[in-house]
Amino acid sequence: MTTNPYRVLGLGLCLAGTIFAPLSYFIIGSVALAAIGVSAILIGFTCIALANTRPYISPEACEIMLKTGMENTAALLEELGLRNKAVYLPSTMRNGHPRALIPLVDGRNIQRIKKNIPGRLIVRYGTNPDDMAIAVTTPGSINIDMLDTKPGPTAGEIEATVTYILTGLLDLANSVTVTLSDSQVKVDISGARLHYEDIWYYRCLGSPIASIAAAVSSEALGKPIRIKEENYSQGKSRIMLEVLS
Amino acid sequence: MRIYNKYIISLALSTCLINILLALLGQDDLAIYFVINIIAYLVITLLYAYLNPGARRALSTISAVSFAGFIVIVVFKVLEIWPGR
Repeated sequence: MTTNPYRVLGLGLCLAGTIFAPLSYFIIGSVALAAIGVSAILIGFTCIALANTRPYISPEACEIMLKTGMENTAALLEELGLRNKAVYLPSTMRNGHPRALIPLVDGRNIQRIKKNIPGRLIVRYGTNPDDMAIAVTTPGSINIDMLDTKPGPTAGEIEATVTYILTGLLDLANSVTVTLSDSQVKVDISGARLHYEDIWYYRCLGSPIASIAAAVSSEALGKPIRIKEENYSQGKSRIMLEVLS
Repeated sequence: MRIYNKYIISLALSTCLINILLALLGQDDLAIYFVINIIAYLVITLLYAYLNPGARRALSTISAVSFAGFIVIVVFKVLEIWPGR
């Protein structure tokens, strides 16, 4: 059994508070010290409650699973020689499951995508015979399924949802700012713990953080979205997303 | 889990500040310390809106118990000053 630091801290605070509070109140006669003991018990119970909500899988195991999925997708992309940037689709365009499309033909200008993409690996997204793509699941797609409600189409709602996922659920960033213009979504992330790397997978699908931002924005706006660029400077990541029609 | 750490540090700092301030003001009623600490706890817990659903559920239970304690103390204080008792 692994030692959970929050449980250890919580038990320590509860025990210390339980001894210290009556000792201070009845023997020392100090109300302020007794209050510190009571506060320690309260914080101790909070730590124990938080300890029970931590995942049982270690971060190392999670990293292995993330890398396995990424390397399998990267192998598929390399084998097919795909270098195109992925297009993130909202769940309404793909049978309720958000996915990303990677076009099979280079240099094709994807602006028009069919309303209903079939739930297969290789799909046709347009009217031309060579409008073919592979549809893959991304970290962003999985996170959309974890949301209770669909985010609204305003910058504030997108920002709140991305913040909830990156800060509250995954602990991958400190804060998120979203700016929305006509056909662009600018996402500024401070304290990001997963940065962009110049590898095949990231060049196609973006970093996991950009993937989450793109999937949330796509779901919120109900439109396909492509990651235009990702920059990292002075502890901040800037992700530019292009909204397709 | 940095958000958990921030939350616990916020709670610890606020309770320390409240207790020191009340001690400096000469407060010697333990119920007052308890009530103000509970208010600070509830406010800080509400401010951490981005905690995961599991953590929110667990904290809601503690908040409910703390709030019940707060209500009991308030009721006793009201009864103390109630006219005719």
